[in-house]
Amino acid sequence: MQTIAATSRLAALAALVGLVGCSGTTTTTTSQSSSGSASAVAGATVIKIGIDMPVSGADASTGIPTRNGAVQAIEEADRKGAPAGFTFVAYDLDDAVQGVHDPAQGAQNTRAFVSDDAVLAMIGPFNSSVARAEIPITNDAGLAQISASATNPGLTKGPDAASLRTSHPDVNSFFRVCTTDDRQGAAGAQFARKLGLKKAFIVDDNETYGKGLADVFDAQFRSLGGTVLGHEHLTKGQTDYKALLTKANALGPDVIFYGGTTATGGGLLRKQMRDAGMAATAYLGGDGISDAEFETVAGDAANGVYYTVAAPETSKLPSAAGFVAAYKKRWSTDVGPYSANAYAAANIEIAAIEKAIVAGGAKTPARADVLKNVAATNGFPSPIGPIGFDKNGDTTNPILTVYKIANGKGVFVDQINLKS
Amino acid sequence: MDVFFQQIVNGLSLGGIYALIALGYTMVYGIIELINFAHGDVYTLGTFFSLAILTGLGVSGEMHGLPLVGVVLVTLIAAMLLCGLTGVLIERLAYRRLRNAPRLAPLITAIGMSFILENVMQLWHGPSPISFPEVIPNPAWALGGVEVSAKQIAVIGLAIVMMAALQLFIYKTKMGKAMRATAQDRDAAQLMGIDINTTIAVTFLIGSALAGAAGFVSGVYYGTTWFFNGFEAGLKAFTAAVLGGIGNVAGAMLGGFLIGLIEAIATQYIPGGAQWTNVVVFSVLVLVLIFRPSGLLGESLPEKV
Repeated sequence: MQTIAATSRLAALAALVGLVGCSGTTTTTTSQSSSGSASAVAGATVIKIGIDMPVSGADASTGIPTRNGAVQAIEEADRKGAPAGFTFVAYDLDDAVQGVHDPAQGAQNTRAFVSDDAVLAMIGPFNSSVARAEIPITNDAGLAQISASATNPGLTKGPDAASLRTSHPDVNSFFRVCTTDDRQGAAGAQFARKLGLKKAFIVDDNETYGKGLADVFDAQFRSLGGTVLGHEHLTKGQTDYKALLTKANALGPDVIFYGGTTATGGGLLRKQMRDAGMAATAYLGGDGISDAEFETVAGDAANGVYYTVAAPETSKLPSAAGFVAAYKKRWSTDVGPYSANAYAAANIEIAAIEKAIVAGGAKTPARADVLKNVAATNGFPSPIGPIGFDKNGDTTNPILTVYKIANGKGVFVDQINLKS
Repeated sequence: MDVFFQQIVNGLSLGGIYALIALGYTMVYGIIELINFAHGDVYTLGTFFSLAILTGLGVSGEMHGLPLVGVVLVTLIAAMLLCGLTGVLIERLAYRRLRNAPRLAPLITAIGMSFILENVMQLWHGPSPISFPEVIPNPAWALGGVEVSAKQIAVIGLAIVMMAALQLFIYKTKMGKAMRATAQDRDAAQLMGIDINTTIAVTFLIGSALAGAAGFVSGVYYGTTWFFNGFEAGLKAFTAAVLGGIGNVAGAMLGGFLIGLIEAIATQYIPGGAQWTNVVVFSVLVLVLIFRPSGLLGESLPEKV
């Protein structure tokens, strides 16, 4: 009798755990704010540029500076004077849920952009997994979308990209001004071999971005003569990596390569390396660990960590000096790794819209015209150099940077141009 | 073989934290048959309280000798008290009025409490991870190739001491007897003159205080926390409680240590094991429940507390 009662209770528990498991990750408390960046001129037609970034939680420290770059471009364009009768406004939404970027939320934000007729183009998202959810929507709507930072190769290239263009297989609506993970993983592998590191243990977070990065590093590192001792994937929500690190340590690697973001475990993994007796082992990652959060989580252990960024170092580029100063004046902080990219992306869209307005005789342009102009971008001057898009929507200007953390700050180490 | 024993140590220290949280789940379930979904968040609140106390004491780095002992004891006890009181408050506000309502109603309020706590913590320290001062120096001792650190010993030791104290409390004190009586038959206990409200409040006090202890330990052990920490830990601890036999104190402890061990061993010996740990843990849970529906220790001790 007691047993039967207990069993049915347990069945109920199991059902409830499932229920809570779902609600815990999908019921959200996002703070979405649509901030009109400029006071709309009375009577002028408002043209909105959608911006989708994770601006709360662990991703906020890279998401916010990226959004700021785009907002700044829109504000400047509006101040400089949009074509007569028009005004530019930023329409920005947060795709982080419970503090982590969320594809479903990103898709919802994109639908909000699409259903607003005033939105003629969008910037974002920050993360590749979110982009994957958004591209089919912008493809369907014919809305031009430029990401400043989504670096997964499959978003633009090969059968993966084709599978995302669901409604109009022959039209591409997704572009990016950053380079791709195959380049980032390749740059990481090149750099690791340059440092003389021979044996790598690879860990990734099993997400589109992290696994893509790690897979390319894996292949490149081998082809450059290195040995890969193991390649493991983390589980979402895990916080204790001692068992994994004990396993890695027993194999004696020279370097741990991490594919993923700080939020999905990059910081804790580095911190726990010390407890696992691996304080002296090198640690290399992609731009997912380039945020300030990484130093907060990893503490002292952050020092000595190398990471690549799929963008040029703005302070090393003469063309970016003006933007860096203007950014500091507007936001009272230094630029983030992708601020200049977002600024360039927004400017490309603004130029495309203005061109469409002029061509259409000062009427509100159609999204299709804007998209066509964006796709035709070539040699567009920007803080990160002249930008053009190839037929996949990828930048023709692939410059990457390697940084090393010292005293809690990323210090420039090397710049790698993979232009082939 | 060294690696095997190293993984045992890793698993036990991870399991110690699960076990401390699981004790609270199992106590509350034992007495009012409610899965207190806010419990994982009370645990996170424990790290937040500890951090606030350490900041208040002006501690930001490693301590040694007597001050270390003082700081650890003060922080631990204060965090336990604050979490305990939070637990009592939650019971008073969200569960007491629903005690005779259909089973689903208090479950929904439990989920609601969980969201409230998460959002309060998000307002308190923001949505990003925050770092926790490393108070305890962390020397490691090599025992024949196996590294055991001071923190690991502290986690495992604290979990065992807390469970032993809890067992003594439940079986040797009058209040413990009242708790056992209430768990067996609330109405009969009331007829015997037991103050049900106080007894249930004390259960929440103790269960939540243990979550507070787990919060302090995990803060020191991992050196970082964030508002959403309790979700995954709470789920694992709840699984531990079910695995060991929900309502059974020793079972919760056993379940916690077992899950920690399974995770560590699975990571080591399954190729690409890190991504399969949850699969292995929950497969073991399913198997155990098929053959022993009331959990590992669920039947041997019929008195639930």
